[in-house]
Amino acid sequence: MNTLRITGGTVYDPANGIDGIVRDVCIADGQIVADVEAGRTINASGLIVFPGGVDVHTHVAGGALNFARGLVPELHRAARTFQHGAMPPAGGRAGAAGSLRRAGLGGVTPTTFATGYLYAGMGWTTVNEAAVPILTAKHTHEELHDTPIVDKSCLLLMANNEIVLDLLEAGEVERAQQVVGWLMWAAKVYGIKAVNPGGVAAWKWGRNARALHEPVEGYRRLTPAQIIAGLAGIVDQLDLPHPLHLHCNNLGIPGNVATTVETMQVLEGRRAHLAHLQFHAYDGEGWDSMRSGAVAVAEAFKAHPQLTADAGAVLFGDAVTITADGPWQHLLYQLTGRKWGNLDVENETGCGIVPYVYKDRSVVNAVQWAVGLELLLLVDDPWRIFLTTDHPNGGCFWRYPEIVQLLMDVEARRAQIRKLPPAAQQRIMLGDLDREYTLSEIAIITSAGPARALGLPQKGHLGVGADADVTIYPAKPDRDGCLFSYPRYVIKGGAIVVEEGDVVAVSDGREFVVRPVYDDGIEDYIRPLFEQVYTMSFENYPVEIGRLRRPALMTLAAKRR
Amino acid sequence: MGGKITCTLGEVKNRADVIVYWGGNPAECHPRHFTKYTLTQKGKFVPEGRKGRTMVLVDIRETPSAKAADIVLQIRPGADFEMATSLRALIKGHRVDREAAEQTGLTLEQLQEFAGRLKGARFGVIFFGMGLSMTRGKHMNSGAILTLAAELNAFTKFVCMPMRGHGNVTGADVVLRWTTGYPFGVNLSRGFPRFNPGEFSTVDLLVRGDTDAALVLGADPGATMPEPAIEHLARIPTIVLDPKVTHTSHLARVHITTAATGISAPGTVYRMDEIPLPLRPALASPYPTDEEVIRRIRQAVTAQPAWVPAPQRA
Repeated sequence: MNTLRITGGTVYDPANGIDGIVRDVCIADGQIVADVEAGRTINASGLIVFPGGVDVHTHVAGGALNFARGLVPELHRAARTFQHGAMPPAGGRAGAAGSLRRAGLGGVTPTTFATGYLYAGMGWTTVNEAAVPILTAKHTHEELHDTPIVDKSCLLLMANNEIVLDLLEAGEVERAQQVVGWLMWAAKVYGIKAVNPGGVAAWKWGRNARALHEPVEGYRRLTPAQIIAGLAGIVDQLDLPHPLHLHCNNLGIPGNVATTVETMQVLEGRRAHLAHLQFHAYDGEGWDSMRSGAVAVAEAFKAHPQLTADAGAVLFGDAVTITADGPWQHLLYQLTGRKWGNLDVENETGCGIVPYVYKDRSVVNAVQWAVGLELLLLVDDPWRIFLTTDHPNGGCFWRYPEIVQLLMDVEARRAQIRKLPPAAQQRIMLGDLDREYTLSEIAIITSAGPARALGLPQKGHLGVGADADVTIYPAKPDRDGCLFSYPRYVIKGGAIVVEEGDVVAVSDGREFVVRPVYDDGIEDYIRPLFEQVYTMSFENYPVEIGRLRRPALMTLAAKRR
Repeated sequence: MGGKITCTLGEVKNRADVIVYWGGNPAECHPRHFTKYTLTQKGKFVPEGRKGRTMVLVDIRETPSAKAADIVLQIRPGADFEMATSLRALIKGHRVDREAAEQTGLTLEQLQEFAGRLKGARFGVIFFGMGLSMTRGKHMNSGAILTLAAELNAFTKFVCMPMRGHGNVTGADVVLRWTTGYPFGVNLSRGFPRFNPGEFSTVDLLVRGDTDAALVLGADPGATMPEPAIEHLARIPTIVLDPKVTHTSHLARVHITTAATGISAPGTVYRMDEIPLPLRPALASPYPTDEEVIRRIRQAVTAQPAWVPAPQRA
C-alpha cells in the first residue's frame, strides 16, 4: 500500500469546516484516509495545507487554443521554456521510474505538457476546459491526454448548435433534450457550455445577438432568452452534475450590466454558472464613458442564490483573447488593429482569437482590472464566485497567485490603484473596499467552491474518501509578496508531483466524462440532419470512448419526471 | 495586420455564394473539393447548389480548373501581392492608380468589378494555393490575402483558407503546435522548442549541411526538394519509414517498410480545415506501424548512454 502522512501542517479544508487547524492528513492509495501506520511522512510544521486547486473555467486544449498558439509565435519567444529530460533527482531520491519531463513552452498559450507542469507547479490539480465543439472533440481529447498530472473535464459548446436551435424554435424541447444528451455522449464531455446564445449563429451571417428578447438572425421567433432558459432546463432535466455554464450575451461591451442582470432574471429559479463575470459587468454608454458596473451585477447576483460565477479577472500584461464569441472578436480586432483569427465551425459554433495587451495606462483596461477584483470582493459568499482569469483571455492561469495577493492585501490593491490614470480611478470603486480574503476563503475560491460547482464530490476537500490532491504552501509570502507562487509540495492522487518548486514525477490525469440518459432512437432523427449540413460521414462524428486514455465515467440515472 | 479568418468546409458548403480559388488548381490537385465542399453541393442556405454560387479563378495561366469557373482572372506572374493590396484599397473606397492596377495584368475596371463582387457576397471564401504562397513574395502574399479576407468582414462575411498539400500535413502542423507551440521548422537541439523558418526549416538545414542524420517519415524529399538538399540526404545516414519504396528510399541507408495508415494501420488524419477524422484499417499488414517502429527506435536510443554528460544540478 502506497501511504503518506503529512504532519504538523496548518490545514485549511473549508468543505469540512476546518479553518487553520494543525492536524495530520493521511493518504493511502490515492485517497485521503483517517490514519496510516507506516510509509513516508512529510513534516509540514510551519506550512499550510490546502486541497489541490480546481480551475472551473480555463482554455488549455483543443482547436481554438491551438489556433491561438499558431497565431502568436512572437510571444512564444519570450515564454518560459521547459527542457526535455529525465526527472531531476529530488530529496536524494531519483524521480519516478521512467517518468520523463517533456519539452514545451509556457507563456500566454502554454503547450500541453507545459500546461500540466505549470498548473501542478502552482498547486492546481483539476482543470475544466470550457469550450469544446463536437466536430473537433477528438482533437481536444488528444490534447487533454497530453496535458499531464492534472485531472480534466470539458464542456460542450451548445448555444449556437443549429440542430438544437431549430428544435428550440419549433418548441420541441423534449426532443432537443434527447439530442443534447446524444451530442454530449458523442463528444465525451462533462457538461454544457453556452456562449453568447444565438450570437455565434448570427455571426455566421456577420451579425450578433444583442437583445435577449429579440429573435436571433436567421430565426423567426427564437430569442437568446429562450435559448438560455431552454438549455438551463435541459441541463436540469438531464440532471448533469455541473449546471449550464453560461457566457452571457454582450461580453465586453460598455453598458452590458443590463444584459447580465436580465440574464439572471431569465434564469430565475434555474441553476447556472456564469462564466468570467468581469467581462459582463461594465456600465456606461460607450468606450469613452465605460465604468465599473460591479455593484449592480453583484447585487443582482446575490439575489439569485442558485447561481455561481467565476471572476474572469484581468491582469495587466500580455494575453490572448479566445472565445466562441466571434462578433466580439471582430470588434476587438477593429479596436486593436492587431491580428485576428476566426474559425467558424459548421452547424455548431465558432471562435475568434485576438492577441491583446492589458495596459495599466489605458482607462478601459484599468476599469477591467478593477471590476474583476470588485466582484470577488463584493460577493461576500466565497462559495459562489471563484478565481479565474478565463485563461488566456484576462491573463494567464499561472498568474493566479498575483490575484490571490491582491485579494488578501488591501494596501497592495491601493498601491496599484494609485498608479492608474485619474480618469480610471473615478470610474471604479475598488478603493472603497476594505475586505481582505482570509486563507480559508482563498481555499474556497480556488478549490472547494469550484469543485462543488462542478459537482465533483471527490475534489476540493481533504475529508476521508477524497482524492488525495493536496498542496502545501509556505506560511510566509515570497519576496514579491506572493504567498501562493511556489508550493513546497504538491500531491496528486497520493503521489508527490512537485517538491520544492520542481516537477519531480509526471502522471497522467484522468478525464471526467458524463454519460447522460437519452433515448438511443434519437440517432435516427439526428442522422439525416447531420448528413444534410455536415461534410463528413456520420460514423466518424462521435468520439469513441477508446480514444480517451484514462476516462472516469459518470453514468447518470434517469431523472424522475 | 491580418491574421486568419477561416471556417470548416461545411460552412462553405452551407453558406458560400462567392468562391475564389487563387493560385491553385483544385481540378487536378484537390479533385473532390468542388463536389464535396464548395461548388456542386446543395447547402442549407444555398439550396440551389451550383446555380447559387459564383466561382472566380485567379491564376497566371488557364488551368483545367478554369472550366469550372464562372470568371477567370488571368494575372501577371508575381503580381499576386500587388493585386491583393489593390483590392484592399478598392474595397475601402481608396483611389488606385490605373498604372498601378494594370501592373497586375488586369484592367482597373476588372479589379473594381472583382472588389465589388467580393463586397457583394453574402458569404465569401478565398482558397489560396502554392501558386500564391510559394512564388515571389511567399508569406507576404499569404499575409496580403489573409488581410484582404479579414478586412472584407467590415462589409460582409468573408473567410480564407490555404489549400493544404497531400497526406496529413495539416495533422503534423496541428500536433507540432500543441507539443511545441510552433507549426513547423522547430528546432529542439537545446532541449526546448525554437522556431525560425528559413533557418530551421528542413530544406534550409539540409542545404546548409547542418544535419548529421535524417529520419524521413511520410514524406518524399528525394522527389520534391532542391538538388543540394537531396545531395546532403544522400551524404548522411538517412532512414526512411514508408509503406512503399520512394525516391528518398533509394538514396537512404535504411528503408523500413511500414503498414499504410488508413489501409492497414489506424490513426487520425486532420483535414485541411483541421477537423480530425479517424482512420479505420480495412486490411491486416505484415508490416509494423510507423508508431511502433518509432517507439522501438526510441527504446533502443534510450538504452544507450547519453552522448553528453547530464547537466549538473546545483
